Amino acid sequence: MRRPPLVVVLIAVIVMALGETAGAVMSQMRPQTERYTRARIAANPVVHGLTGSAEYDDEVRARAVFAVEAGLSFFHTHAEGLAPVMLVAATLVASIVASRRIRAALYAVMMLGVLFPLGYLAYAAAVLELGRDEGVAFAERWVLTPLGTLAIVGILGLLVALATRRALVT
Amino acid sequence: MTEGAHPTWRLPPAPALLVALLLIACAEISGASMVRFKLELARWARGTMLARPEVHGLVGVRDVDEQIMDEALTRFDGGLRLFHMHAEGMGTIIILTTMVAATWAPTPGWRRALVALLTAGGAGYPVGYLVWAALIPFRGVEDGKRLAEWLVWIPFGGATIVAMWLLVGVLVMRLRSNG
Repeated sequence: MRRPPLVVVLIAVIVMALGETAGAVMSQMRPQTERYTRARIAANPVVHGLTGSAEYDDEVRARAVFAVEAGLSFFHTHAEGLAPVMLVAATLVASIVASRRIRAALYAVMMLGVLFPLGYLAYAAAVLELGRDEGVAFAERWVLTPLGTLAIVGILGLLVALATRRALVT
Repeated sequence: MTEGAHPTWRLPPAPALLVALLLIACAEISGASMVRFKLELARWARGTMLARPEVHGLVGVRDVDEQIMDEALTRFDGGLRLFHMHAEGMGTIIILTTMVAATWAPTPGWRRALVALLTAGGAGYPVGYLVWAALIPFRGVEDGKRLAEWLVWIPFGGATIVAMWLLVGVLVMRLRSNG
């Protein structure tokens, strides 16, 4: 099998390494992560809608902590899952797409698409700084949707290239 | 066509591939076993816990003990599931990362070290979840987790993380020397 350009491989390996590291951080530094999350919520009481009522505020904090932990967990799983998929897809592009321009376009799209899991880090950070609902909406609109779309476009592009090649051969 | 015009991947060493495929096979088998032997596994874990009431803080009051055992059984099941998921994922990651290391490591020494770390770390880490699940009935949830952490997760997971970042370093150096 032909291999994709080094920069494509590097980005996929960086995303995998970040995913591994995030897994370790999640399990070994859970109390620190929770403390930091609670401190950021306390520093942004308005965006989190804290009212001063202990019972209600505890509920709000618990939901925000859950959302931040979910963001880290999704980052870990998506980084470990999507980066290998994109590495294999880029290898297929290198091996079967004849046109240099189309190859370059697919590499570019895949290189950006493989960054999709970083959207979940943005999701966790946005929840802390903008509040749970605003933060989730922000990350989905500006990071997860564009990068996820690029990942899908990359795979669909490969699919079209495969189908075209098959049609040409037949 | 020359290698320079169409550079190809170098295959990882056969032992690394063998370990990765074995890990994926174990993951598949464990997934099937979890479904097929769900009752037997739960019965065994329950019986082992009941034989060690002091380890699990069982007090002899049915309502209290059932709650404690339910929680431990959920963790036991979770440990098996996490083994299944991590073994599937790490098997694939071993194949791909050792292929990258075999292709781009600067010297045979680096190649051997990276492949060994990626293979041993990647294959050992998921086994920690199996160790944890197996230890829960004997040592309790927290003690089992502590043992699995020190015996498996920290050494093997640490090896994988170090190897991955070394691999990133190797690729960055290659990119700089190519550019």
